[in-house]
Amino acid sequence: MRTAMLVLPMLFAIAAPSRAALGDAEASVGADEQRFLPTETKVSDHGPYRLHEMTRGDGSVIREYVNGAGQVFGVSWKGPVLPDLSQLLGTHFAAFHNNARQKAGRRRIAVVHSGDLVVESAGRPRAFFGRAYLNSMLPAGVTEETVQ
Amino acid sequence: MSFRAVALRAVAFEAPAISNAVLIARAAGVAALGLALAGCGSTTASSSNLGTGTSTTTPAPVNNVQPIIVDSGPAALPAEDANVDVAFTTVTICVPGTSTCQSIDHVAVDTGSTGLRILGSVLTLNLTRATASTGAPLANCVQYADNTFQWGPVAAADIKLAGEVASSVPIQIAGAPGFTAAPVACSAGGTEVDDLVDLGANGLLGVGLFRQDCGSACTSAATNPGVYFSCGPFGCTATTATLAQQLQNPVWMFAQDNNGLIIDLPAIAATGQLTVSGSMIFGIGTQSNNGLGAAKAQASDDLGNLTTTYNGTAYNQSFIDSGSNGLFFLTATATLPDCGSQAPGFYCPATVVSLTAINSGPNPSGSGAQVSQNVAFSVANALVLFNTPNYAFNDLAAENPGAFDWGLPFFFGRPVFIGIESQVSAAGVGPYWAY
Repeated sequence: MRTAMLVLPMLFAIAAPSRAALGDAEASVGADEQRFLPTETKVSDHGPYRLHEMTRGDGSVIREYVNGAGQVFGVSWKGPVLPDLSQLLGTHFAAFHNNARQKAGRRRIAVVHSGDLVVESAGRPRAFFGRAYLNSMLPAGVTEETVQ
Repeated sequence: MSFRAVALRAVAFEAPAISNAVLIARAAGVAALGLALAGCGSTTASSSNLGTGTSTTTPAPVNNVQPIIVDSGPAALPAEDANVDVAFTTVTICVPGTSTCQSIDHVAVDTGSTGLRILGSVLTLNLTRATASTGAPLANCVQYADNTFQWGPVAAADIKLAGEVASSVPIQIAGAPGFTAAPVACSAGGTEVDDLVDLGANGLLGVGLFRQDCGSACTSAATNPGVYFSCGPFGCTATTATLAQQLQNPVWMFAQDNNGLIIDLPAIAATGQLTVSGSMIFGIGTQSNNGLGAAKAQASDDLGNLTTTYNGTAYNQSFIDSGSNGLFFLTATATLPDCGSQAPGFYCPATVVSLTAINSGPNPSGSGAQVSQNVAFSVANALVLFNTPNYAFNDLAAENPGAFDWGLPFFFGRPVFIGIESQVSAAGVGPYWAY
């Protein structure tokens, strides 16, 4: 029993974060980098927001948009294959996944509006692209058009 | 295949507020260009040698017409799981070089992907599986925009369509029983669609613009996007694959009629049609039945995209895809309202809306001149369509803000030519579309 109590927190420590992104703190971008393994990373300031851009050798690009409060308010992707959307959308992935999977009407959709969350996934093999953003986290004066 | 979708009348939709009566019948969404089957004269004759890629021997013509049908799908598929606007065909595959063959019906025809994928649950042939450079089994992954994917080992088979044969072609055994599960790099967190109910078909025949599903990117570690995987005892890791190891568009591997194909579906009414029969014709300008006629050719970019301009906005990541079972474009507006909870994302206008967009791309002949043409199309109330008994619609549409995805509705009444990359025809060098 005592042993179990000691072990448990360690398991948590190992299993925990490494998942990140949309809606999370800017530091979480690092977790995405570890998964995406970019060959090039860029950070640039754009006044009301900061942009993290990761590029991979296959031409894939992931962009993460951070507001003044240090929150990732938008992400976008483009490339020959889809990135791990469960990683990129973080806690918001379930809302996308459940909506995209809904059986009512026997259909799958790749464009999801779920409360504050918007996810748009498009393309086909060799040419995927998409974006996701949280309306409530958009900086003042910044529209969803910024997330590209 | 990009999006797959859509409901059927079998689903208990509530009666829509709009009755069928309000739907104003109009001729099929587009003007039929018509295949110039005869009288192509010197154009056809001069292109026939180009099509085979050889200049000396011309093989005796074979039957190049493969029937396709838009219907409810495989007999074993429960009615409530059937999709609308999917074109199917019957594919015969054989153990390479033998007469040990299996005919598989209701394989979806997909111009948006490349290669043959057969569900492991329907495959009865014992096909030799491929190995990666590591010596471990070679697996293939394909993803779709709706965060679904197909996964399975690669095996070699002869593929027979009409009188044409592609020999010893790598195919995917999708959802092969007992095979290692897909890694996250393939699943991307999404859903595997490798059973009959999820796929709604017995397989997928990718006959798009490209020769291989991945192409040169997968041949080098530096550019490898991770489409092929080596599956050892500790799981699957991304691996490179030579062009020859990759899934192939079988059409370019035919001995003749190998420069492209035509998807030819007749015009249908705005209220849809129960089932629709058409053809997949192999070769472009190689026989008397596959001349370009009045069709205008537009090259795609390296990714297979063309530019669709609508209301003055250019969408340069647009594409034509028989594997998308609707027209996917823009977002809901007052004119094109969302259907709401019964079919979120689909459009439910009060009456059929007629629209025009402009598709453009460079002339594949190499002149570099931009070729543009108007595309007239229409959007009906999706819930009204779903409440008909029909499986084929030319006016079913849904949201897709970033690009125009011209799915199967685009094909009705408009023969669509697909020029395969690096293959030569009278129109020029692929990849191109002509219609």
